[in-house]
Amino acid sequence: MKLAEVEVTLTKDEVKYARKYLRREPNTLEWAMIDAEWSEHCSYKSSKPYLKLLPTKGKRVILGPGYDSGVVDIGRGYVATVHVESHNHPSAIDPYGGAATGIGGVVRDILCMGTRPIAFLDSLRFGLINESPHSTWLFKNVVRGIADYGNCIGVPTVAGEVEFDESFEKNCLVDVIALGIGKKGDIVLARACQPGDSVILVGGSTGRDGIHGVTFASRVLTDKSEDDRSAVQIPDPFTKKLIMEATLEATSTGHVHGLKDLGGGGLTCGLSEMADKGNTGIEMSITKVHLRETGLTSTEIMISESQERMVFIVGDAHEREICDIFEKYEVPYRKIGKVIKERCIVVREREEELARLPTRFLANAPIIWRRMKRPKKQVSRKREPPENLSDILLKLLASPNIASKEWVYRQYDHEVGGRTVVKPGQGDAAVMRLPNGKFAAIKADGNARRCHIDPYAGAASCVAEACRNVVAVGAEPIAMLDHCQFGDPNNPEVFWMFVQTMKGISDACKKFNLPCIGGKVSFYNEDTETRTAIKPTPVIVVVGIIEKEKHITTSGFKEGDAVVVVGNTKRDLGGSEYYRLIKGFDKSPPSIDLRTEKRTLNTVLESTRRGYVRSCHDVSNGGLVVALAEMCMIGDVGASIDLRRLQNAKLEDDEFLFSESNSRFVVSTKKEEDLLKVFSRHRIPATKVGEVKGNRLEITTRNKHVSCTLEDMKQAYCKSIESLVE
Amino acid sequence: MIGSKSFHVAGNSHAANSSSQFGVRIMYLVEIVVGNKPQAKDPEGQTIMKDLMHKSGYDCVRDVRTGKLLKVQIEANSEEEAKQKAFDMCNDLRIYNPVAHYCKIEIRGKT
Amino acid sequence: MKIAVIQFPGSNCDLDTLHVLRDVVRVDTDLVWHKDFRGQNYDAAILPGGFSYGDHLRAGIIAAYSPAMASIKKMADENKPILGICNGFQILVESSLLPGALLRNSCLKFVCKWTTLKVETESSAFTQLYKKGQNIRMPIAHNEGRYFVEEETLEELRRNDQVILRYVGENPNGAIDDIAGICNKERNIVGLMPHPERASEIILGSNDGKRMFESMLNWHK
Repeated sequence: MKLAEVEVTLTKDEVKYARKYLRREPNTLEWAMIDAEWSEHCSYKSSKPYLKLLPTKGKRVILGPGYDSGVVDIGRGYVATVHVESHNHPSAIDPYGGAATGIGGVVRDILCMGTRPIAFLDSLRFGLINESPHSTWLFKNVVRGIADYGNCIGVPTVAGEVEFDESFEKNCLVDVIALGIGKKGDIVLARACQPGDSVILVGGSTGRDGIHGVTFASRVLTDKSEDDRSAVQIPDPFTKKLIMEATLEATSTGHVHGLKDLGGGGLTCGLSEMADKGNTGIEMSITKVHLRETGLTSTEIMISESQERMVFIVGDAHEREICDIFEKYEVPYRKIGKVIKERCIVVREREEELARLPTRFLANAPIIWRRMKRPKKQVSRKREPPENLSDILLKLLASPNIASKEWVYRQYDHEVGGRTVVKPGQGDAAVMRLPNGKFAAIKADGNARRCHIDPYAGAASCVAEACRNVVAVGAEPIAMLDHCQFGDPNNPEVFWMFVQTMKGISDACKKFNLPCIGGKVSFYNEDTETRTAIKPTPVIVVVGIIEKEKHITTSGFKEGDAVVVVGNTKRDLGGSEYYRLIKGFDKSPPSIDLRTEKRTLNTVLESTRRGYVRSCHDVSNGGLVVALAEMCMIGDVGASIDLRRLQNAKLEDDEFLFSESNSRFVVSTKKEEDLLKVFSRHRIPATKVGEVKGNRLEITTRNKHVSCTLEDMKQAYCKSIESLVE
Repeated sequence: MIGSKSFHVAGNSHAANSSSQFGVRIMYLVEIVVGNKPQAKDPEGQTIMKDLMHKSGYDCVRDVRTGKLLKVQIEANSEEEAKQKAFDMCNDLRIYNPVAHYCKIEIRGKT
Repeated sequence: MKIAVIQFPGSNCDLDTLHVLRDVVRVDTDLVWHKDFRGQNYDAAILPGGFSYGDHLRAGIIAAYSPAMASIKKMADENKPILGICNGFQILVESSLLPGALLRNSCLKFVCKWTTLKVETESSAFTQLYKKGQNIRMPIAHNEGRYFVEEETLEELRRNDQVILRYVGENPNGAIDDIAGICNKERNIVGLMPHPERASEIILGSNDGKRMFESMLNWHK
């Protein structure tokens, strides 16, 4: 079979490598299988060497990256699984279906560990909805897709973030994160270990949809992308729900030896990865696969990415018992093959052998070493500070990146499951009740503009921010995931940003003792026409544990409390929402001192645990003044604040108020003396700045005064997104 | 695709054409159907067939596909114009997404 | 007293409801797969919220044809308490055990939020322990919760004191006459869109919903 007759995305080097390793010419089917498995999306061939920088060990880590979900021990016999998935390319052309099937994909990874999904988060990025009808269309339909799917399967979407920036106009980002819970003893791994075990394909039928999905995701979007209709899948949450219940019932029997969901690359990737992890092989028959349409070629069957399919590895003796469960839920299933000793994937059609590829070869694409080049330095652009800062506050509160995302989360059932203790809009992170009496906090954070200015410091800041959000609700961060999204890796500047990002994340995690238990890298988020890549976008997910209910802290001010600002405010306006508003630009990277950040996190946590903290909010987008405004609105009460003691002499009033420096919190307390003592002991700056009272937010700085009513702030903050999209 | 069974259209088409020559606008009843592309799954159709029809004894049913129906009254000078307007709307306003859906437009009569 | 929570394919508030009954209200409760349900073994039944059959064709319509509903009908005839929550309400309405229809929310979007409700009558299997006129807090989470019924039937519902809950303040879905929940003439079947099982523990926001389940225990007496 001539290679030219087969449509593949492999590089010349990869083709050479394959021929050399196999010592023969692969046939059409085999080339297609190699192409799918060696796509960037499945193989991480560009990023693997840099992913190694991340710390992955920790006393609570049971399973780190490399499996379907990371697994952490949360005590008393229970574990949590976390996974992140993205559907950027499909969502750019079919936002409803792409986002919905993204949820379908992430939930499968939690399920196939044998754990029950208990929460979703969404991290979304679009172009400017106040200027672009296209981005508005994408935004509305992505949210609807996530809502319809998540609500239908009964898993609450409890937190998330949405960022708007021009660089996402043609390449929106749709990231979904799932958290699962299970008993330690029920964990199942994605591997086929026992030769002789049955390989059972369960769930939806296989069809032509989703063919070349991973290779689609591993290419930039072009005009022709709208024709790539086969790469889009129709969401089917009802089938997913049945599969979910069937899977959980099956895994609780203890007789499922291996389990994997079929996602990118379909059967090819699923089976080869399972066999590779188990040091075995799999022999399967193409005729046994239940198909949705006739006339599928063997290639199409092996690389189809039809949704809602899982592969169960079950011992002979218990096959009937497990299959009876599938019968109960009326979930289609077929035994398609068995695990063999020889380390190969063998595809048969009745008597004929169609393909035979060594699993080690297939599951381990050769690394591609890409060139990197540091981009030119950007130029700062200063602006005259505006006169009326109260006006600026209201404008910031209404700006899409800061404004309340209530329009989004009202569409998500965030209560189903009876576990959501801190709900969207109440705190810095979602807090879920756990079966072992503890509570889990989870948050996702990214900031493309900062990362564009300096990928290293920007990425480290994202890790810091996610940790701050989790600490603000009273939780100790125990694990993280990273999802890194970039443009075309063939572009040396893009690749340089990727490597810097990985370094930033690794350094922060090492300093914070925060193991990385999973993650994803998504390249090719770039538009061919204009050659604009998205800004580098690492999204960091942090999971934390709260030991006791009384430690749970929300972010609304409480009447009569004293207000304390923790941390130092420096001139950190690079990438700030304030500069975006006044159209300034600062090329300086966000300042980040990992040691101070860590000490600050620990001290805030200690204060919370001692009962000194009544409300807590981290300072990020929009700076100190937005943080104060948000705490007022959530608590439905005003505050009287004097920042003059705190204000650095070198900072102008506007710079001070809107700076987005790291390592800062606003805390309210009834025990200010005790609280300030704790911070003093740990040498973390903390200053009382005022009181919670009234129905206005009043802030005094060296030369300026900000004064806004609760009413005005809420009008700007709460109605903004709705008025832009409806 | 012209698919009206109404004898009115056949009977009056001549009259319609002659009045349109003088610029009289007519209200056309246009039906727009949006459904999942034939090669795509139709989970709703499958559930209705398997869990409702078959389970209630109607096993004569071989396939069910679902769609959304819009009945639109469009003012136009001719059937072709009405159809074109409907087609333009479907594309410009994203009434269907060509990536996942097909869109079928038929004239069902006029008032 | 023994309660059954019926599980249809796609139900997803079944475990939440089971938890509240077993662990909070502390009554003997079974989670029963719809195909296995035998009404004679139980004193009351709850149809939980969710998306039975994916809400395909119309929310609740396919579940209405489940063999379990024949058992439910029999139980209803025997004056046993039957509660339909959200999707359960939709199933009761599609089974003609309660009048009316539940249509798409006026805002055309799924809405998840806490609402304030007024208890309109104490005389039903599930509102006995409330005080008429009392305001309670419960969350809603639905896409098709707009209760609709024709004028004549609405008059009848009002006349017979069959409206048990109304939305207070804001009507979140456009339901006619602000109706959030109703009961049948015999007052043993209740359907409501809000979720009492999500409002049965203070830590989750309120425990106003608990009394709904406790009322059922008293009906039996």
